[in-house]
Amino acid sequence: MIYNISGLKFRYSDTFSLDIEELVIEKGASLGFVGPNGCGKSTLLKILAFLIEPDEGVIHFDGEKVNGNGSAFKKDVTILLQEPYLLKRSVFENVAYGLRVRGEKRNLSEFVDRALRIVGLPTEKFARRHWFELSGGEAQRVALAARLILNPKVLILDEPTASVDQESAVLIKDAINHAKGEYGTSLVIASHDFLWLNSVTDDIERIHEGRIVGHEMGNIITGPWRRESDGLWKKTLSGGERISAVKPPREDAVAMLNPSDIMLSTERPEGISAQNVLKGSITQLAVENDSGKVLVTMNVAGLSLVSRVTEKAVRNLNLLPGGMVWVLFKASSLNWH
Amino acid sequence: MDYIVTGLFEAFGLLAGGDAGTYSAIATTLKTSTLSIMASLVIGIPLGFLLGYYSFLGKRQVRAVVDTLLAMPTVVVGLLVYAFISRRGPMGDWGLLFTIPGIALAQTVLITPIVISLTATAIEGLDRRLRMTLIALGAEARQIAVTSLIEAKHAVLIAAVAAYGRAISEVGISMMVGGNIKWHTRTITTAIALETGKGEFALGIALGIVLLLMAFLANSFLMALKRRS
Repeated sequence: MIYNISGLKFRYSDTFSLDIEELVIEKGASLGFVGPNGCGKSTLLKILAFLIEPDEGVIHFDGEKVNGNGSAFKKDVTILLQEPYLLKRSVFENVAYGLRVRGEKRNLSEFVDRALRIVGLPTEKFARRHWFELSGGEAQRVALAARLILNPKVLILDEPTASVDQESAVLIKDAINHAKGEYGTSLVIASHDFLWLNSVTDDIERIHEGRIVGHEMGNIITGPWRRESDGLWKKTLSGGERISAVKPPREDAVAMLNPSDIMLSTERPEGISAQNVLKGSITQLAVENDSGKVLVTMNVAGLSLVSRVTEKAVRNLNLLPGGMVWVLFKASSLNWH
Repeated sequence: MDYIVTGLFEAFGLLAGGDAGTYSAIATTLKTSTLSIMASLVIGIPLGFLLGYYSFLGKRQVRAVVDTLLAMPTVVVGLLVYAFISRRGPMGDWGLLFTIPGIALAQTVLITPIVISLTATAIEGLDRRLRMTLIALGAEARQIAVTSLIEAKHAVLIAAVAAYGRAISEVGISMMVGGNIKWHTRTITTAIALETGKGEFALGIALGIVLLLMAFLANSFLMALKRRS
């Protein structure tokens, strides 16, 4: 394994901290992290990249214990930050920088050329451009090329597609898959883009309020939950709709909802046992990596939910982005964290 | 009004005709300002970098002192340096009073705080992502420091141009420490002050034009740098 982490803690303030009980990342694996803003994804990635040190916990990297000596491993790990910074130099110099500081001077042009081509930027067109002559997507890819040229053991990406167009997102995906396939680079990626992340990673961990809460493409529904006269607990959404749940451990408990437990219907169903029948609009459709099933992302009164359905169901229900759909799930399908 | 127009024409005549007195003052100004800017950059850039890059106890107080020195009047600097390099002063044996190196020394005292302060501001103003990026790319502490300074190079050049502008335009130091000796320590600014006092507007205007031209060139350079950075 490339990382073996236990008891990791990092405190931001009295009220919030990153608390990872255990995390194992195998060599050559690609692991994704999802979670809302401020949940601790970026901090965890910076700890994995040895940019910051945790307050507590044990990290083993590639079989060796990291004990305040993270800098010894920095050359094996590189991170692409959420908003990458390009040096005020040409594209060539930006990409070559990491090799230069390692004292590598031979065949620089060849390495830069290869790295730029991996990210879909032809050398003859881009190498001599200045940092300010690039679009957001091109700058992101130059920053990625500057990491790929280093052939790192671990490549960490923080929201790599947050500010790029669709084409760049595809090129970034191809580039990191190339690194993984060609050099066995392990990938650790945090992203809000659930579906993009699903297409580039083997496994996805969910982070919520500094903790890993699940290891699936689960939906997260936060409290507060209020007990009603029918014995069920309800959460009220912004549009007044309510989600019913069975006995949360506390009022502010976080519920996980498996996408496979959500059923969809184009007409309001009658006489069913599911307590939750909510109206939503479809925002995205994507094929899941391994299962071949379709992930349908919906907006339900401001809450984003993902349902896993078969391709046949998508065709039968004629599910399309922008279309209205009824979202159905049982109160007992909510699992508590 | 006529005497101003006449003075302007005569000024062009002096410049075009290669008037020795005029060009001597220009040469002295260039010598003193070049020496002082070189010395202030050698001293000021490293100190400004240290002040902007590192955190240390008393940093804010040091910064406050440096920023206060930005507003130091030239005659006060002239007075202090005069006291040090005059025959009775601790550096009296060096024979710097009424010499070009003496003026350059005092100008260095005047403009070094500008270089320190603006360099520190440039370093402090660097993008916070830079350091993380350099670490992520494998740079060591020394490489991070050097790259940070290179990233701030345009702002540091702006500091140099601002300091140079202050050096060529000051009059108090050149007058007090240089003594305004013709063919020797008379600079453009001291010559303008003297010639205007004598009613010799032509020479004053000619030198004023040269000074403005130098300021214009420095400012053009500054603007070009600002555009690039």
